Order: sequence, then C-alpha cells, then structure tokens
Amino acid sequence: MKSTVHSHLLAAVSQCFAIAALTTLSLAAQAQSAGVAPEARHMLKASTDFLGSQQRFTADTRNTLEIVLKSGQKIEFNNTARQSVQRPNRLRAERTGDLVEQVFVYDGQSLTLYNPHDKVYAQVPAPGTLEEMLDFARTRLDIIAPAGDLVYTNAYEILMDGVTEGIVVGKAVIEGVRCDHLAFRAPQVDWQIWIQEGDQPLPRKLVITTLDLPNSPQFGVTVTRWNLNPAFDAQTFTFTPQAGMKQIDFLPR
Amino acid sequence: MTSTGKSKAFVVTIALPLLYLAGVSPDAPATLTLVPEARAVVGAPLTPVSAAGVARRTTRRVVVAESTATQSAAANTAAVQQQQAATAQQQSATAQQQSATAQQQAAATQQQAAAPRPAGAPAIGSVVTALPAGCKAETRDGVEFQNCGGVLYRAAFQSNNLVYVVQ
Repeated sequence: MKSTVHSHLLAAVSQCFAIAALTTLSLAAQAQSAGVAPEARHMLKASTDFLGSQQRFTADTRNTLEIVLKSGQKIEFNNTARQSVQRPNRLRAERTGDLVEQVFVYDGQSLTLYNPHDKVYAQVPAPGTLEEMLDFARTRLDIIAPAGDLVYTNAYEILMDGVTEGIVVGKAVIEGVRCDHLAFRAPQVDWQIWIQEGDQPLPRKLVITTLDLPNSPQFGVTVTRWNLNPAFDAQTFTFTPQAGMKQIDFLPR
Repeated sequence: MTSTGKSKAFVVTIALPLLYLAGVSPDAPATLTLVPEARAVVGAPLTPVSAAGVARRTTRRVVVAESTATQSAAANTAAVQQQQAATAQQQSATAQQQSATAQQQAAATQQQAAAPRPAGAPAIGSVVTALPAGCKAETRDGVEFQNCGGVLYRAAFQSNNLVYVVQ
C-alpha cells in the first residue's frame, strides 16, 4: 500500500516535471518565433553604431567559404584579409588565400582592383564617398569590396532588413575575447554574430548559413584583430602600378 | 540551378551580395578550376548581407569556368568544340552583357585579325578562368593579348575574378 502511494506520487511528480519541461520548451519555441528579441536588436544596434562612429580602423580577418559539390560533398576555402578604412572616403582591402591574392584600393576618386601575383590591375573613376563607391562597385561592376557593410553608417538597417527572428544565444569566447552571441533568421538565410562585451561592442565573428542550397553551405568571418587607432601612410590608400604590371578592363556587368 | 549536363565545364553558382567583412565568395570560380571536373559545383553560400534581405540582394550569378586540364587535354577534339559552344551559349543566355561584349569584340577582332581563326576555336566573347597551355603574350595596338594556338585571349576582371575573353 505504502509503496503504491509512493509510486503514484513518483508518477505524478515526474508527470509534473514532464509538463513543466514541455511548457518551457513551447515557451521557448514561442519566444523564438515571436520575432526579434529586443535585447538582440539592442546589442546589434550598439555594435553597428559603435563601428559606424569609428573614423579610422583596420580589421584583420580569417574567412571561410563552403562550396557544395554535386555529390553533396562540401569543400571549404580559406583566406585571410585586412581591411583598412578611413572615413569618409578611403578604403584598402587585401586578401590572400586559396590561390587568390587581391588588393582593392579606393582613394576617394577612383577604385583599383589588382592581383599582385598576376601583375594585372583595373581602375575606374568612382563616386566620392565610401558608401556611394560600394554601391557603385556592386551594382555597376559586380565587385564586392571586402570591407562591405562595415563601412555603411546604416549597417544596422541593412543587416536587419528582412529579418524575421532574432535571439540572444548566450555568452561565448571568440579569439580569446568574451562576446555576446546572437542568432537571426531571414528568408533563405540564417546568420549569427558574436559581439564583444563591454564598451567597445565590436563584431568579432559572423557566420552565414544559406538555406536554399543543398546542404546549406556556410560563410564565416572571424576578426583576429581590430585596430581602432591605425597608422596609415601615404601608400595605404593610393595605388601605383609596379613595373611590369598590365592594366586590364573590367567587363561590364 | 544551371547544369552543363555532360559538358566538362564547371558551373559555379555563387551569390554576390555585399560581404560584411571580407570577400571570399568571388574567389570561388578561380579556385574551383582545381576541383576534379566530374564534380560540378552546385553552390556557394549567400554572402553575409543576403541576411540583409532580399531587397538589397543582388541576383545570383552563374559563372562558367572551364578547367585548365579540360582545355589542354582535349583542345582538338570535336567534343570540346561542342562543349565550348554549349558553354558560350550558356554564357550568353545567362549574361546578356557578355553577348553585347562579344559583338563588340567580334567587330574589333575582325579589324585586328591578321590570320583566320583556327577551326574549332572557342566562341568569340566566351569567358574562361584559365588559359589553355602554350600561350604567348603579344601586343597589338598597345593591348596585350595571349595567343594560344592562334586563338587570342584578353585578360579582364569579371567581378573580382581574373578571366580571359576569347577574341
């Protein structure tokens, strides 16, 4: 008799736990599908505002890109890059990695793309501000400037456009730096960002998952070093062709 | 998803919206010339700011990149001619600007061409990411071309990629 009561109690208690657990899960699910959590929004905005207010900086990054083969096998490509930015109208981006060595230079008047190893460069007149230049490069030349959205002062609006869900995942450590980990969903794309804790909320890592391709390939970029007080010299944002370099054209888009 | 079917050309579909911190996506076509040809590539990720929404996102671009091995090994076969024709058709279908470019270049080539093009030469205006073997640089009217077995190629940037346009 006693043991029967005990087992009933146990059953009741465990049922309660099960219900509680289910309730917690469904609450969590509701929270996730209920749009963008205010704190996620807040943290992202703080980060983009902080970076938007920096007039000069460099970011050294390590980048990975996945390609999916027909078999479904994923292949990863790696490169490292340094982005140098001086608002309102200077940019230099250098990449080295799998077979690619490329430099992008914008001096406020023209943009130059060159491959030092191939000894070729192309140059075109460009608009007078970083943001206009990036738009020009993207829409007219199909060229992706490696500093990309960092430079836009409305980076928050750009990133959040189309986002349907956003959560704060928790704390994380990226390259030895404590960060807040955020995760967002937009049509066809999931993305995560890790933002440095404290009074310099710099983005430290970004991962993009593409949902509408087989096996959902990912793009990742990790900042290995931020420098908010870089020493730029006269050569940083100018391009002078070296001996033997050939000028080539951009194909029209 | 574009497919070349039996063609040995690679079809690389990549998306090119803005990158957040760094551009890696544009590397793909060039680097993929080393991927074994039987394994045509189906896709690379959307780049970061596709997360920025559909409105800003540029359309996905299809790049056809033939492997160096394919070109040099089979340069004289009819099969390759067909492939290249198919490649050229695909390119003109997928990139209207290329056919426009091809017309310009065809006109230019008619003026420049000292010798007739070899039979089976790739279509004028088609774009490759690697030259066939045995090319020699030559300069005509101050412009450098690569002469590869009588077919002229001219270097250019297509997006971030160094490519060669058949003249």
